[in-house]
Amino acid sequence: MIFIIDDDEIMASCIKRAIKGEAKIFGNAIDAMVEISDGRIPDLIFLDVLLDGPDGFTFLNETASYSDTAKIPVVIVTSLDLPRNDYSAYGVVGVLKKEEMTPEDIRKYVNEYCK
Amino acid sequence: MDVEVDGVLVAAHELKAPLAVLRQLALSFDGAGHEDERIRNEMVNVSERAIRQVNDLVKIKRLNDGLFAMEPVAVREVCDAVGRELKYLFREHEREFTMKFSNKTRLVSANRELLYSVIYNFLLNALHYSGVNTRSELVIKDVRGKVRVDIRDYGPSLPVNVWREIKQGWVEKPLSVAMRAGSSGLGLFIASRFSQYMGANVGAVRHRDGTSFYVELPISKQASLFEI
Repeated sequence: MIFIIDDDEIMASCIKRAIKGEAKIFGNAIDAMVEISDGRIPDLIFLDVLLDGPDGFTFLNETASYSDTAKIPVVIVTSLDLPRNDYSAYGVVGVLKKEEMTPEDIRKYVNEYCK
Repeated sequence: MDVEVDGVLVAAHELKAPLAVLRQLALSFDGAGHEDERIRNEMVNVSERAIRQVNDLVKIKRLNDGLFAMEPVAVREVCDAVGRELKYLFREHEREFTMKFSNKTRLVSANRELLYSVIYNFLLNALHYSGVNTRSELVIKDVRGKVRVDIRDYGPSLPVNVWREIKQGWVEKPLSVAMRAGSSGLGLFIASRFSQYMGANVGAVRHRDGTSFYVELPISKQASLFEI
């Protein structure tokens, strides 16, 4: 299962369409965290940074704090110009810029982490 | 704090999200026919150009933060890259684009990202004002100890008052150069601000049958690897 956490419904549905598989959309980080707390650990997460309520980095801090969620691969999907830091400590395996990414970029991560 | 520029920054950020969505929607469009594909590509390209302009407006604000380092830049490589990006557009609009250079290894002191935007905006401007089946020319040459990138179109000539404003130096704001029909002058405003930051001069030359815009960049003192 893949989680898409993005408060922009249309962008989230575009990502879901690109995935061409099972994916669940969350409009905020809290709903996604509740789902994970209930034991439904996703294979991969596409995560927006600027969200309603807690932002993407708050979500990453939360997942990084528990051994069972710390290793979930996360792809940050954002319009922000993030510094080119190493976010791998948070499980981040890639950063996609919303204004530059293509469906192929999204599928590349799906193929790599959802075999 | 410059309230006017901050307003632009907020607007730029607000515009970026829907433009990115429009681009993704176009990329998701599954039309199978040749015409569908053409429309899809056009939607993607139009949204990408708009995103680039929005990003450039954001960069103008960041100029104040000094985030864009100056470095030796191969000016021809940048012009080649811009040419490749806009080649399809010239073809789509049945225009021709040619490039000439007198020194292919020349390095200038610039920021590559900003220089790219300057050339991009000048070239887009030339495309906009060139008629069908006419050409735009990009020429790189040494002029008085600097490297000049000159982009010539064969559209309507610049009004004299606008030309004088550009001759005086750089452009204050987009609306002051609503220079030729169909233009807000935004591209020139962006190019002008970026050039000023890089210590480069921008200017324009009026021709009977068109206009040339140019940027003059200081030559980098670092030797090019190709010259050693």
